[in-house]
Amino acid sequence: MKKPYSFFWSKLALKELLNNRRFSIFFLFNLALGLAGFIALDSFKESLDIHLGKNSQAILGADLALTSYVPIDDKTLGNLESIFPENTMSTQKISLFTMVASKKRSVLVQVTGIGEKYPFYGKMVLRESGKVIPEMVLQNLDFKKDAWIYPELLLMLNINEGENIDIGETSFRVIDSVIDDPSSSMSSFGFAPRIYLGLNKIEETGLLSKKSRVSYQYLYRFPKGTELKVLVENLRGKIQKFDDSFSKIRVRTHKRAANSLGRVLGYLNDYLGLIALIAVFLAGIGAAYLFRNYLVHRFQEMSILMSLGATRQQTYRMVLWQLVFLGTAAALISIIFSLGILPLLELLLENFLPRGFETNVNLSSLVFALILGSIGSLVFCLPVLTRIHSVQPLMLLRKNNGNHGSETLILRQTLSYFPLIILSWILSVWQSQSFIVGSAFVGMLFCSVLLLGSMSWIILMFAGKLSQTSGNTIKRLAFRNLQRNRAGAISCFVALSLGTLLINLIPQIYQGLQEEISRPADFRIPSLFLFDIQTEQIEPLKNLLADNKMNLNYISPMVRARLEKVNGRKYKSDFNEGLSTRERQREQGFRMRTLNLSYRTKLSDSENIVEGRKLAGNYDWNSDMPAEVSLEERFAERMGLKLGDFLEFNVHEVPISAKVINLRKVKWNSFQPNFFILFQPGVLDDAPATYLASMGGLDRLERMNYQNLIVQEYPNISVIDVTRTVERILKISDQMVLALRFMAYLSIMAGLVVVFSIARHEVQGRLWELNLLKVLGAKFNDIQKMIQIEFAILGICAGLFGVGVSLIMSYGIAWWFFENLWKWTWQTSLASVIGVTTLSVIVAWIATRKTLKSSPLNLLRSS
Amino acid sequence: MLLEINKLYKSFKQADHGKIDVLKNINLEIHEGETVAVVGQSGSGKSTLLSLMAGLDRQTTGSLRLRDKEISEMSEANLTQFRAKNIGIIFQQFYLMPHLTALENVSLPLEMFGYEDYIFRAKEALEHVSLSDREKHFPNQLSGGESQRVAIARAIVTRPSILLADEPTGNLDNETGIQVANLLFDLVKTTGMTMLLVTHNTEMAGRCSRQMTLQYGTFQ
Repeated sequence: MKKPYSFFWSKLALKELLNNRRFSIFFLFNLALGLAGFIALDSFKESLDIHLGKNSQAILGADLALTSYVPIDDKTLGNLESIFPENTMSTQKISLFTMVASKKRSVLVQVTGIGEKYPFYGKMVLRESGKVIPEMVLQNLDFKKDAWIYPELLLMLNINEGENIDIGETSFRVIDSVIDDPSSSMSSFGFAPRIYLGLNKIEETGLLSKKSRVSYQYLYRFPKGTELKVLVENLRGKIQKFDDSFSKIRVRTHKRAANSLGRVLGYLNDYLGLIALIAVFLAGIGAAYLFRNYLVHRFQEMSILMSLGATRQQTYRMVLWQLVFLGTAAALISIIFSLGILPLLELLLENFLPRGFETNVNLSSLVFALILGSIGSLVFCLPVLTRIHSVQPLMLLRKNNGNHGSETLILRQTLSYFPLIILSWILSVWQSQSFIVGSAFVGMLFCSVLLLGSMSWIILMFAGKLSQTSGNTIKRLAFRNLQRNRAGAISCFVALSLGTLLINLIPQIYQGLQEEISRPADFRIPSLFLFDIQTEQIEPLKNLLADNKMNLNYISPMVRARLEKVNGRKYKSDFNEGLSTRERQREQGFRMRTLNLSYRTKLSDSENIVEGRKLAGNYDWNSDMPAEVSLEERFAERMGLKLGDFLEFNVHEVPISAKVINLRKVKWNSFQPNFFILFQPGVLDDAPATYLASMGGLDRLERMNYQNLIVQEYPNISVIDVTRTVERILKISDQMVLALRFMAYLSIMAGLVVVFSIARHEVQGRLWELNLLKVLGAKFNDIQKMIQIEFAILGICAGLFGVGVSLIMSYGIAWWFFENLWKWTWQTSLASVIGVTTLSVIVAWIATRKTLKSSPLNLLRSS
Repeated sequence: MLLEINKLYKSFKQADHGKIDVLKNINLEIHEGETVAVVGQSGSGKSTLLSLMAGLDRQTTGSLRLRDKEISEMSEANLTQFRAKNIGIIFQQFYLMPHLTALENVSLPLEMFGYEDYIFRAKEALEHVSLSDREKHFPNQLSGGESQRVAIARAIVTRPSILLADEPTGNLDNETGIQVANLLFDLVKTTGMTMLLVTHNTEMAGRCSRQMTLQYGTFQ
């Protein structure tokens, strides 16, 4: 006998799919929706990464920077630069914070001296002269005492372009204002506006004395193809060998500059990744469930084929063809669909996204979606596919579905889950970019499946008992149906509850994030921040403002110190570039800082203790006990400090010991003067301190007037107008809340489609039986009631257990992904249970109604 | 000798770990061109015997040889091929593929084994069962009698050595049943095909060259 022509089995498979249009459309829709979500979210996430990658060079203005608080001498610099490739370009940048003054006012600014080639990347744009080119730096800033300033300084200093300002010992002419500065990306919510000078002219200000904290940056642009990582390692190796102040030279790459963009983007990135993953899992569950029902109804046709001479392998092949057809078609549809969604995402997050952000469809996402669609759907349906092995042509004569309970079949079924577990694991690790987090997510998901399966078994056993004791015929029938159709009911229950779990997971996590990002309830937008207030100036300043009917808010002392020892051992900054997670790099940054200490009698309304007890009252210097200190919890985590640790600070050369008594949580967007380290009162009261405070609720004119008033009376006080910065941050956080909410709704919608598909197919499977009941004379109402009871039980139980498990899982995810930002909202949980139950009952009602209305003859024929 | 059955036994395990003998010491010889009817009450083992002859199930003990080949010794793959070439089966419930037209249903076994003239032969088979005008109709557009005629055409299209028919008129009304039976016997006569017919219908059984009565798993 010959073999059939090449496309025989694929043609037959396609014909069968076309004949089962309803299944094919539902399967396609379900899978395409999940994959489209995956592509859109993954591409968006990738676009964000690419954008940050590009921007990171612009933020740093170079590929690599050597940073030091002292100028690096030529010999040392030559030593370091000796390992750079040929054709490396270099320039320099010097920055410091200082007060500058016009004839009328003085303001705290960041003065930056730049070399002629700055910046290597990104473009700096001036209002009058346009894009900055090297000649402009040379001609304007290097040769003349000219300055480019941020536009707000014109207002703050009450000057016009062309007028002079005093910076240190020298007077500079303001010739233009900077309207676009790539280095002031969204990462730098710095309050101080900038002034650009020529590199040699900053030296003439006399501000580069040893007393000032000056940052010297040596910037480099390398030829294409330079291995930055190797270069950085070699540089670090050289720097470690220095034993003088140059051992503190920091190597900063553009990648680190991008990674320090902050938690806000990090959260959004992880959240998008999580939703993309959940979209795929939801689609997979829906697809596997739909396919299971489809396949069960195809068993008879497979038997016919086998009786006509088809081998089991050929039957398998036909089903595989069908899955590949559907999966690939779904992937292609999803690719087209996602191209439509992406611009929507961009539009929605327009204000939130960094300037110049472009959403690009990620080719790897498309390829991955294609693989997921074709191979992924095979893997998701593999446990169902193994059931083909029980199909025998004999069932055509005996009406028996084969030996379901054989040990080989059970073993085969169990083994068929392994590819699914492996694929899920790879997907999770790839999405989370973390072996531990990805494994934890998949582990939690599969434990949930096992737990839900066991729960459903118990519930069905209970339903079986109820079917014997319930007096009402309809209820008895409903309970018996559930118990009798155990395999179907368990898979329906697990699929529904897993759907509920995933649906509930996103809003649950969203609540935690939203809580973190949204504005505090008692929020008052600050207008002015006041720094460097001396102790003796506090009362007169208060009185001055009171005379003008204005209050000074959140007056907080600030004492500079350095952490010297922890539990008696010298504290090390422990810098290591090799560990390049976002969290690790933040931690490194934190550890190097000079710390600001403060003290308060009570906590502000934007902070609360999460571990430990309240700080005691005034410290008694005669006691042997160490002082008590409170740490912000994330700060403590990054510094490697914990409750009960003994810390020794160097406060202006005076050693002060303290014990960590509690850890606090602080709302980062409260815009109140918050401190990482708070001492109990009485310890730092006599230490040299400056105060900071804020003033709120001022319009533009009032802000200018108060700035003038304070600066005239107290020239040493720096008054910064923070309105624009605060509004910018608030806008970002509001947009982010909106984005999170949108994503949550999107995932709920996708989940409901899956729940609908599952419920609908479960009812479809019962049509013949319903028709029989109808023919036997059962009342329509009774039939509907019976089905509704069944689906209400399935819906409520699936909803309750799904929500229960999702709470545990969301807590785990919040802990792994989002620094424990978890908050239970009973409203979401209740809505999930009600939503799933209602949807199940409504779908069952619609489907039974249609059946009851149709002619029994048609249904018997179709069966 | 086309088919030879010797001391054939078939038992099934029971839920209580016991066993039930459905067929006991079956001996049967069928020659080429013969038409044999197996009659008996429900549960007598008729369908089980048919499933063994069709190679859909395996006997517990005994021998079953078709064209001098022992069916029980064949591997699953060889048996599938052997069945496709030598055995045509007609079921009581027709079992047509719902998504294929009448012509496609008939040509299916031919296509499966790469016959190049599958369309011609399928059309010819449909002509034999007088359904040439229905070749583009799907099963749900055909009556019961027409569906069974398509199933008969599908069973004979590969020109098998033996045709096994399981209550071929059992799902049809009396008049249609007679029409289908006439068609089946005419076809067998004109093609010289061997047929084993399992039926309750004594009239139909009477039209076969030999009748065997199965009772409690043995031939009377």
